[in-house]
Amino acid sequence: MIKRFATLLPVVFGVLCLTFALLHLVPGDPVDVMLGESASAADRTALKAQLGLDQPVLVQFGQYVMHLLQGDFGTSIHTQTPISQLLWQAYPATLLLAVVALAIGLSIGIPLGIWSALKAGHWQDVMITMLSIRLAAMPAFWLGPVLMLVFAVWLGWLPVSGMANAASIVLPAMTLGLGLSAILTRMTRTSLLEVLNEDYIRTARAKGLSERQVLLKHALRAALLPLVTIVGLQMGSLLAGAVITETIFSWNGIGRLLVDSIEKRDYPVTQACVLVVAFSYVLINQVTDVVYRWLDPRTRGAA
Amino acid sequence: MLGRLLPGVLLAWALTGCQPSNEPRSLVFAVAQAPANLDPRYATDAASERINRLIYQRLVEFDSRSREVPGLATWQMRDATHYRFQLSQSATFHDGQPLTAADVKATYDSLLQLKDSPHTAEFKHIQQITTLDTNTIDFELSRPDPHFAARLMVGILPARLIATGHDFGHAPVGSGPFKLDQWQSALQLQRLSDGLNVRFDEVKDPNVRVLKLKRGEADLIQGDLPPELVKYLQKQPNITVKTGVGANYSYLGLNVQADFLRDARVRRAIAYAIDTQAIIDKVMVSHSRQASAILPPEHYAGNAALQPYPYQPALARQLLQSAGIKLPLTLTYKTSTDPQRVRLATILQAQMQEAGIDLQIKSLDWGTFFADVQKGNFQLYGLTWVGIKTPEIYSQVFASNSLPPQGFNRGRYQDGVLDQLLEKEDWPAVTQRIHSQLPVIPLWYEGQFVAYRNTIAAYQPMPDGNLDGLAHVVFKAAKD
Repeated sequence: MIKRFATLLPVVFGVLCLTFALLHLVPGDPVDVMLGESASAADRTALKAQLGLDQPVLVQFGQYVMHLLQGDFGTSIHTQTPISQLLWQAYPATLLLAVVALAIGLSIGIPLGIWSALKAGHWQDVMITMLSIRLAAMPAFWLGPVLMLVFAVWLGWLPVSGMANAASIVLPAMTLGLGLSAILTRMTRTSLLEVLNEDYIRTARAKGLSERQVLLKHALRAALLPLVTIVGLQMGSLLAGAVITETIFSWNGIGRLLVDSIEKRDYPVTQACVLVVAFSYVLINQVTDVVYRWLDPRTRGAA
Repeated sequence: MLGRLLPGVLLAWALTGCQPSNEPRSLVFAVAQAPANLDPRYATDAASERINRLIYQRLVEFDSRSREVPGLATWQMRDATHYRFQLSQSATFHDGQPLTAADVKATYDSLLQLKDSPHTAEFKHIQQITTLDTNTIDFELSRPDPHFAARLMVGILPARLIATGHDFGHAPVGSGPFKLDQWQSALQLQRLSDGLNVRFDEVKDPNVRVLKLKRGEADLIQGDLPPELVKYLQKQPNITVKTGVGANYSYLGLNVQADFLRDARVRRAIAYAIDTQAIIDKVMVSHSRQASAILPPEHYAGNAALQPYPYQPALARQLLQSAGIKLPLTLTYKTSTDPQRVRLATILQAQMQEAGIDLQIKSLDWGTFFADVQKGNFQLYGLTWVGIKTPEIYSQVFASNSLPPQGFNRGRYQDGVLDQLLEKEDWPAVTQRIHSQLPVIPLWYEGQFVAYRNTIAAYQPMPDGNLDGLAHVVFKAAKD
């Protein structure tokens, strides 16, 4: 296990290099953002020196890594707030949204997928397939406002946006979760249909087990395995910040922070967000791998 | 077990800082952009500057014709480089301390010492600030500056807190009509006169701002809405929409160093190729009006005699052909990704086609777009000047010695005749010269609009979009 997580280090180092390079590759620099158009060349030079931007790139990189190791992500150019504070506020919000969205996706997607597979070829299957294709095709920037209109404005059940109370999470989580459920429905259906045609299922039926026992004890465990990978990948991208959903629902998460920092050219914040997002993604993928191995005895021996 | 606890813990964590429900009702203002930094020595974004007007007071204010009038102080120019300010009204900071000449001196002294403030450069010619008594301050300048008083728009900070390195950016202390109440997930200010709380919720999406207003989650929204949403709001029974004239100037910037565009005939052809009135009528809020100069006609340096260029695509074609250009003339227009800006770009594209101009639209993220504009990496671009008060803007934008980074002459326009007129500050002649030479194409002053629920009253839109109306807004009745 430790060896597995040690392999993360080169990836994290690569991400560090890339996010650092970001600052030097994009046009303009923090000094332009801070001083605006009318500052003199002397003022620019002075501020560059103060920020250490006149140092050789390698020295700057070294300082950047040293600060990161101490948990210091720097300060936002725009708000002059420590970035660790911004991340500490935004990350839990994103994590919460991701967990709830995933729960919605799983609780709708898996039952619908199973039902669809069991009724393969019947009208229920056709209806579920049509529904899931439509859900998968709805972009968040459309689905979000439609959900707001129906559940907040017309029915008055939920708040339109913001983070004022616990009910505020329902609509953004549904916006993300419904799309996710469509993918999970399709995956569950395909995977279960494949498993149901296997010899061992026929054997189980021949032993005289009920359809319910065949499904729950034999088919589902195998059929849901591929879903672990999909769920892991989806969780990774949810933690990367559901940029559009967070923006339209005024959900103060990583996605919104990232977009905001890009718009305002707040480079240190963008750097920190990219770093955190990349790290989350890599970590989730490793965790998925571990869970997969734990669930599927066949993969345990593999390198 | 952990699986059950985790969502609850996360929810509590994520919602920390949200407003408890038993607090008195706040007026909720849904804004497109939350303020970034409430230290007036640093703030540059419009959102922060508008809120700073509520928290801080300034030495100088402007009347309806944008003339400098006394704010906290009256003044006299003792000679070309010597100004004396006399605090004329007693003011008290939100921490209970009186505002004195020492606070004025400390504010501007500290601004001059900052290395990372975008405002420092403007005050570099202050040689010395002296307090004569608790109400009198002298400013000695290193060079004559007839517009010096109009520059003193920085909110006054308490000297005592400046000395301790107080974080005004996040914990502002001023002497204005509003004080900071709390700033966690959203900024909340409190009106000193009656304790009314005003919360500024950032809601970026215009559709969502409208839905929040309709649902009652927001009481007030202002500006930044496409006209169809304004029309939608006008039909809602429980919402009042008010529009008023605006003074923010939208224009088409031209790079006069680019091929063809150094020829004034080509620039005039572009002006004749745009039907600004049709755009105003079809896709802008009411009270929008055509522009002929940066400062509107009602400004003391405005020029009401200038007439907008009419839409004459045939004349535009003739001018282009007389300049030796083979039609169609292909030009690239850079704009941001703002949907309303992109929509305007496509309308300009269609109109210019009639005149033989093939407009290529490049919609870029704000950071890249603005960096390109500053560097002169464009042929045409569209932008708006917001909150301009003094005619000095003409020198900063069009003088030959105002090329970036010395000024805002982003189009690299150089005109000896105009330079002489700018030197003399002959504003009618300056605006006339600019209007005939067209280093930029004037478009419009967009109308201002506010929409609020009928539970509140007495809020008015201001020409430059400031939020001063919040000093008077009232709840008509308690909301259920």
